[in-house]
Amino acid sequence: MTRPILNRRRFLGTAAMTGAALASPAYLRRSMAQGSGEVNIWTYNDFVPASFKEQFESDTGIKVNVRLVDDQGKQFNLLAAEAPNPTVDIMTVAGHRFLQFIDSDLLAPLDVGRLSNWGNINPTFSESDWSTINGEKWGAPILSGMEVLSYNTDVVSPEEALTWDTLFSEKYAQQNAYIIQDMMSIIMLKMGYDGNMVAYMDDPEKAAAIVEEAKQFLIENKPLVRKYYDGGAEVQQMFVNQDIVLAHSWNGPAAALINDGFPLAMAIPNEGSYGFVYTYNVANNAPNVDNAYTFLNAIIASSEIGASMTKASGFISTYKDASNHLTDLEKASTSFPEEQLANLQFFRAEANELKYSLVDPAVEAIKAA
Amino acid sequence: MTDQAVTGGTPGDDRSDRTAWGRIAAWAPYRAFMGAVTASPRRQFLILAAFPVLWVLTQHLGPMIQMVRVSLTDAYPVAPGVEQSFTLDNYLRFFGDPIFWQPFFRTLIFAATFTFCTLILTYPVAYFLARHVSPKNRMLMLLLLLIPFWVGEIVRTYAIMILLGNTGAVNLVLQWVGLIDRPIPFMYTSFSMGVGIVYLTALYMLLPLYSALEKLPQSLGDAAADLGAGAWTRFRRITLPLTIEGISSGCTLVFLISTGFYATPVLLGGPSTTVFSETIAGFFHVAGDQWPTGAAFATIMFLAALLLTGAFQAVMRSLRKGDVR
Repeated sequence: MTRPILNRRRFLGTAAMTGAALASPAYLRRSMAQGSGEVNIWTYNDFVPASFKEQFESDTGIKVNVRLVDDQGKQFNLLAAEAPNPTVDIMTVAGHRFLQFIDSDLLAPLDVGRLSNWGNINPTFSESDWSTINGEKWGAPILSGMEVLSYNTDVVSPEEALTWDTLFSEKYAQQNAYIIQDMMSIIMLKMGYDGNMVAYMDDPEKAAAIVEEAKQFLIENKPLVRKYYDGGAEVQQMFVNQDIVLAHSWNGPAAALINDGFPLAMAIPNEGSYGFVYTYNVANNAPNVDNAYTFLNAIIASSEIGASMTKASGFISTYKDASNHLTDLEKASTSFPEEQLANLQFFRAEANELKYSLVDPAVEAIKAA
Repeated sequence: MTDQAVTGGTPGDDRSDRTAWGRIAAWAPYRAFMGAVTASPRRQFLILAAFPVLWVLTQHLGPMIQMVRVSLTDAYPVAPGVEQSFTLDNYLRFFGDPIFWQPFFRTLIFAATFTFCTLILTYPVAYFLARHVSPKNRMLMLLLLLIPFWVGEIVRTYAIMILLGNTGAVNLVLQWVGLIDRPIPFMYTSFSMGVGIVYLTALYMLLPLYSALEKLPQSLGDAAADLGAGAWTRFRRITLPLTIEGISSGCTLVFLISTGFYATPVLLGGPSTTVFSETIAGFFHVAGDQWPTGAAFATIMFLAALLLTGAFQAVMRSLRKGDVR
């Protein structure tokens, strides 16, 4: 007869401890995050290869805790909510979003001197102008991506994919999808404007007029679109289910489908598109900063790791010689012809405040229309 | 002091075989404490009410109050160096910009429509279960209906996607029987969203209806039949009025749940089905000081849903009174 009482007690005790943990104030959670051998990472799916994680934990005894994120804005808000005592050590910020995080004091400058393997990153990424702000480096570039036109090769021809107009054609009405926020930049570029809005920083009225023009274009073409989506997995699923035959997408999810043998191809259309770079960043006041640097130095240690990140995510590695470890199919899915690459430019952050103050309401208007 | 005095036990108690809990229950200070708190009905009430009140305050009202508080600020989460201040701008933003009205009213219309569809579809099921299935099989049937609810909303939504996709089961069957040559684009429309929401909310309608129908005495229908009332008349004059309580509860539950759905409209809806929860979520996803606006919009939706269900309940109450008269 005593067993039920003991079980109940155990249950009550466990419940009380769980309740106490949930109700614990930030400083307690932080102290829990400061386990002697841990590093806490917020990143996208497949950005920490499973084999690397296992090897790193075995070699260093540092446990890698990955929390998956799917959006830069969510990451910002999560970190802002935890600041100035975050539970995270390393986050994954896109290069063109640095400024927002830095201005809010959420990132710590990267001490490159602590990364003996820094030289393994291609200088195109590690030493580019966007990666240095206020004279400091703010992140270790790991993967690069771009906004592309993905298409089912059984239905759409490579020639058709060389223009964004195909995405809005009657021929493929209701068989297409795009991310509105990203498409706004692309449409501005397609219309001959600077989608980064850097050129209009001193002329907000012109910037507003351009955003309005792009917004009207997307509203007029709304009847043709099948789905506005947000994440890479969604567009993959729509392609696989044959709900769509072409889409604006990031190259990573599309490359992953190509590597799986799906009849898909990508193009950077003639009107142009944008590229971006994902970086690993150390959070300001990170609880396990030494472990974070150990992790960063390990993950940029070899081109094989870069290649395995590319294999898993589909995005292009920023490491020197990473492509040497890819199969022909993987190389094909992560490379573009020179003439298409010439159409590419990188997202820039200088005018983000102006840009998103105009683009965010425009996105809402398009959804509501 | 004797052991008996310490434990408060009575002479002749065999304390050696008491359980741990038994020893605590017999402990004098414990007995004194329990005696004090249960000495009057008022104290008993306070003790009994403490946990439910605490639960409601911390688990239900607490988050709501926090949301309203955030909605009245100009910055949240507050980044280091930013000063937070009180403002009504987040509410004014909704009323000042018609962009937001369309998803708002669309949500209410969708929720009302889907609630009505759920009622129409589940009433016959509940009727069959309560009136025509033998009592010993009812639990089994209810269990079968509950099975899909063992998994979460997202999994069930994906099940609908598998069903309605271009390569989904419905299109495959239609093609197989020769009714169509090309797949019908069910997905990413108000239809697919409606199917998903009706499927997800059906049980919340079914259970109150089943409960109301089960309590309905069979003799009322038999008496009406003896007096010459046909099936439709019996349903209209007896069954429907006497199950209005269940209809009211089910509709309220389904309507409230439908106004708050997020994942299902995102996954199953299309460009023209954007609902207000997606608009609200947009403010929480966008980096910056947009959480207060999202919180204000959520509060507006909450109040609107509350007002509408209040009005609906009032109508139902008047219908019930009319029935009694």
